[in-house]
Amino acid sequence: MNTGNAFLGIDVGSISTKAVIIDEGNAILAQEYIWTEGNPIGAVKKLLGLLEKQLDRETWQIVGVGATGSARRLVGSIVGATVVKNEITAHAVGTTTFHPDVRTILEIGGQDSKIILVENGIAVDYAMNTLCAAGTGAFLSSQARRLGIEVEEMGQYALQSAHPTMIAARCTVFAESDLVHKIQMGHPREDIIAGVCRAVASNYINNVGKGKKICSPVVFQGGVSKNIGVVRAFEDLLRCPVIVDENGHLMGAMGAAILARRSLKRTHFDFSVENMEFVTRERNCGGCSNNCEIICVYRNGTLIDFWGNRCEKGALRADKA
Amino acid sequence: MDGEKMPAIGIPRAMLYYRYGALWEHFFQSLGLSTVLSPPGSRGILEAGTRLAPDESCLSLKMFMGHVDALVGRCERIFIPRYSNYGYTEFFCTRYEGIYDQARNIFRSSGQRFITCNIDVQNGSPEAKAFEKLGVELGFSPRQSRHAWHEAARALEQQQKTAEHIQKELAGKPGMKVLVAGHSYVLSDPYLGRPILDYLESAGAVSLRADALEPETARKACARFSPTCRWITSEEIVGGVLLWKDRVDGIILVSAFPCGPDSMTNELLIRRLKGKPILTLVLDTQSGMAGVETRIESFLDIIRFQKGEMV
Repeated sequence: MNTGNAFLGIDVGSISTKAVIIDEGNAILAQEYIWTEGNPIGAVKKLLGLLEKQLDRETWQIVGVGATGSARRLVGSIVGATVVKNEITAHAVGTTTFHPDVRTILEIGGQDSKIILVENGIAVDYAMNTLCAAGTGAFLSSQARRLGIEVEEMGQYALQSAHPTMIAARCTVFAESDLVHKIQMGHPREDIIAGVCRAVASNYINNVGKGKKICSPVVFQGGVSKNIGVVRAFEDLLRCPVIVDENGHLMGAMGAAILARRSLKRTHFDFSVENMEFVTRERNCGGCSNNCEIICVYRNGTLIDFWGNRCEKGALRADKA
Repeated sequence: MDGEKMPAIGIPRAMLYYRYGALWEHFFQSLGLSTVLSPPGSRGILEAGTRLAPDESCLSLKMFMGHVDALVGRCERIFIPRYSNYGYTEFFCTRYEGIYDQARNIFRSSGQRFITCNIDVQNGSPEAKAFEKLGVELGFSPRQSRHAWHEAARALEQQQKTAEHIQKELAGKPGMKVLVAGHSYVLSDPYLGRPILDYLESAGAVSLRADALEPETARKACARFSPTCRWITSEEIVGGVLLWKDRVDGIILVSAFPCGPDSMTNELLIRRLKGKPILTLVLDTQSGMAGVETRIESFLDIIRFQKGEMV
């Protein structure tokens, strides 16, 4: 029979979708990590299928669901989340739970990067990249492709280099033309790869980390933390050890699950959403010259949620959709 | 024409309108001239402006040209003053000085008439003199024009006093308070800055504005902080931040891309103000609010964390 309360946290990013199920003591009962592949709804359904197999449903009942990541709103409404939180808060909560003494959290994901400063286990300041996605995972992927290697192999190549090539790191577009120039000049491939890793780290410190006092212990997470070349570059530039947690990629989902646990809202989550059909439609409101793009979400043909409207006019239009 | 007379003066609801609009409207009205404002800023206006303005100009200038476009053919003259300087050390952003000529050039084949006046103390044309000349150009006597200017200046002063008073009442309210700093024409625009203020309100925060302060007071405060700050409107924003900062829990700097003056003063504020969470938001033509909402939401969470509240 159902005995224990469990909490599901889902983190849907631009590149990957992560989820964990934890118990009241934050112990991980199930976890999964898959690619979003431009289809957040599909990814979440697939993810829930994988989690369902891992969880002993005789023993555990999910009573709280937290959603975070750039698709948190969409996914939150699909799974009926009890908590929908931004990824910065989720990461701060997740990481400080597992590393209570952390002072600085570096996070580089597929499309954004952020820094969170922590004092006494409490997040006190943060910064996030502005609209430009320079120096994120997307940049590394495209450079790996240009160099003809897998992005996963970059770190190992970088470690073989003794003299990383200097690559202009200010802007991805300039960095790329600089990189092509260095390739054509005959710089060895491993030096260029190490240079790219270094460029990501120094770009991060000069942009997102600008004006921030980076204190040790430093925890590095997000997809790019799996690249040992970037980790070493950060250690060189910051002159302190950089901790990469093996569960680092799950911290956002952990944070979401913990926030769901802390919140008083309770639900009775079963895995039935796996078999439901979800469709989203974009409607242009047309009620005024703002012409808002309203996203409507339908479950089995019924409108369950919508957003994107700047005023009430849009709400009326969505209802009529 | 159907015989109905068009309003005499059209005023674009953009840029310095949000700073000096009360002055302009009262000036024309006390001369007995009818005025018309362009509609509130919207995506449609911004899109029109983006098509018309030089593509590397700032978001606010694009918005401005959209407003001019909305007035073309709807009034006898469109009023765009040239604000250049208040003296040898006090300048306006060159955008404000250039927009009259830019607009005339962009709309040169429309047949629309424009009118301007030069606020240029360096060349012997302070505000009072500039508006007197403007009145004379419109067919009024120097005396009538001077009178209208005095009325208008009083109206502007009154408006600024009221804004500061409202702000002081807000500052006394309980709950989380956030200071929002940026050019008035960014913050007050219903399409650009308003959604930020609305979002703060819906998230339960009281928002104060750095620009709601008597300009003289603000500029004096800025002079002590940075004696060489070049731009008048930036001085007013920086001064506002300095005078309100201790009464708020966090500061949001809002800037329209790519604003030259903001890129200097926001950097200055971030480096020199310690101990208060500061968030920078850069607005561009993106139509989604998602990126902005994520940043504000997490910013408010950071403030709550600091205050020891559970998120």
